[in-house]
Amino acid sequence: MPSRGERPEDGAGLVPAESSTLHKEELSSKIKEQKVVVDELSNLKKNRKVYRQQQNSNIFFLAERTEMLSESKNILDELRKEYQEIENSEKTKIKK
Amino acid sequence: MEAPPDPRPHTSAAAPLRAPEVARLREEQEKVVTNCQEKIQHWKKVDNDYNALQERLSTLPDKLSYNIMVPFGPFAFMPGKLVHTNEVTVLLGDNWFAKCSAKQAVGLVEHRKEHVRKTIDDLKKVMKNFESRVEFTEDLQKMSDAAGDIVDIREEIKTDFEFKAKHRIAHKPHSKPKTSDIFEAEFANDLKSKDLLADKELWDRLEELERQEELLGEIDIDSKPDTVIANGDVSSEEEKEDQNINVNMMHQVTDSLTLSNCYNSLTNSELFNGQVNSPLNYSVNGSNSYHSNEDDNDDGGDNENDHDTLGVEDNSIPTIYFSHTVEPKRVRINTGKNTTLKFSEKKEEAKRKRKNSSGSGHSPQELPMIRTPADIYRVFVDIVNGEYVPRKSILKSRSRENSVCSDTSESSAADFDDRRGVLRSISCEEATCSDASESILEEEQQENHQKKPLPLSVTPEAFSGTVIEKEFLSPSLIPHPAMAHPVLPTIPERKEVLSEVSEGTTKRVSKFKAARLQQKN
Repeated sequence: MPSRGERPEDGAGLVPAESSTLHKEELSSKIKEQKVVVDELSNLKKNRKVYRQQQNSNIFFLAERTEMLSESKNILDELRKEYQEIENSEKTKIKK
Repeated sequence: MEAPPDPRPHTSAAAPLRAPEVARLREEQEKVVTNCQEKIQHWKKVDNDYNALQERLSTLPDKLSYNIMVPFGPFAFMPGKLVHTNEVTVLLGDNWFAKCSAKQAVGLVEHRKEHVRKTIDDLKKVMKNFESRVEFTEDLQKMSDAAGDIVDIREEIKTDFEFKAKHRIAHKPHSKPKTSDIFEAEFANDLKSKDLLADKELWDRLEELERQEELLGEIDIDSKPDTVIANGDVSSEEEKEDQNINVNMMHQVTDSLTLSNCYNSLTNSELFNGQVNSPLNYSVNGSNSYHSNEDDNDDGGDNENDHDTLGVEDNSIPTIYFSHTVEPKRVRINTGKNTTLKFSEKKEEAKRKRKNSSGSGHSPQELPMIRTPADIYRVFVDIVNGEYVPRKSILKSRSRENSVCSDTSESSAADFDDRRGVLRSISCEEATCSDASESILEEEQQENHQKKPLPLSVTPEAFSGTVIEKEFLSPSLIPHPAMAHPVLPTIPERKEVLSEVSEGTTKRVSKFKAARLQQKN
């Protein structure tokens, strides 16, 4: 059965960039990736297996689909929050 | 982390020293900072990976087997099972592996994480350090552009001066040290009307130098080359720009320094100071004018400095041309009463000048005044084949023949024994006269004069407080911080024979030549 590997999200491993614009760009790209993951997971048939890659290696462990879906959604939400925060702070700066 | 905003380098020609160098310095510092940042990022990723691994390892033995996708090369996978979940083979490095349980592997990972953490901390420290340097450089740039209270201090360095090892040149024997000559000359010239003024200047200068000395503490003056090198590093680029301007000034300096060895530089410092003390002796060197003007207001000094720089460049920054002078070391003399005096050269000079002015002093001028090791090399010079040859430095191996512990004697055994004998005989004398150390220098000179025909020995102890010069060998240093303990006896087996005067007339030849000559004969 065709199955899918899934990459677990790297937490915010990057140091916040010097300028917020850099950080914003990175965040936005991450958010896009995460969106794709969530969409793909939600679009899977019920019998599909989902594998999770072990960090820094080529081994994939079997994981549950539902679990993975919820996890991915959470990550996406977090990223979005962060993005919003940065945007808000920028706006307040501009206003000042 | 905020990078400091990059100010545009000031490109006016009026601040020639500032713009390109400081901008470059800042660039380099920022490079280091970014480099550190990248490294920190990398190490943080590694740390993250280890964390994930630890997590996985901790849960691995929970199941007997896992369904996994087994990688075949970089792109192909095959479903499979992971079995023996508790057996982990760990790479220890250098293709060595260790088989251990999952928990043990967790311990190993923890240990590696510790190392990573340490690396990250170090990198952070470095980054912080360089960030502050960047800030400072920025400030420096801004302030210099504003041309405010910043004064540029430059030191011209003759490039081939310190770094080459120049051969020591022999002085004429018994030549008096230069300082006393200059001192006398100045004194003779400065008659009564100017005398008071010179005195006053001298006192001011003395006080100021003492203040400086206190501020600087006991800077090791013998590290002059190092300090000069340090200065050179900072100012090397600037030096090139100004070399044309200051050639004349440097010429004066280098002329006085052409005798050029480290020892000479000490006396030259006195030369400098001698010149400085006289307000009328106005040498071209910018540093002298700086020193002598320090008593006056700084503006006058600065203006004069600018004047000295011939105004070739329109410096917006007042510039002081500094030349490194070596302050003579303060020597502690043991007066034998468990007290030590600080033998400050300046005070001695002043004392002598007062003595002279009162008309009583005549003795210091008669004997060669030995106040620095360099003076010793002036007074005692060998004559080899009709030419003057400088004595070997006390640090050379030959001089160690005299020391009791030395087995590196290369000369004939007889000579050696003789020397040892002399050593012993004189060391006994020394024990008695080590107390009279206030007049150490005079005593030594008298000794030298009286005993000049006789060979003298160098004591094995450097702390006796007297310098006695041995015929063939280099003299030891002048009064040291001495402890008032008696001179230890030399090896008792040596005979007590005074060596002969005839040694004085013998030429110094190398042992190989001596052997050859002997063979011929």
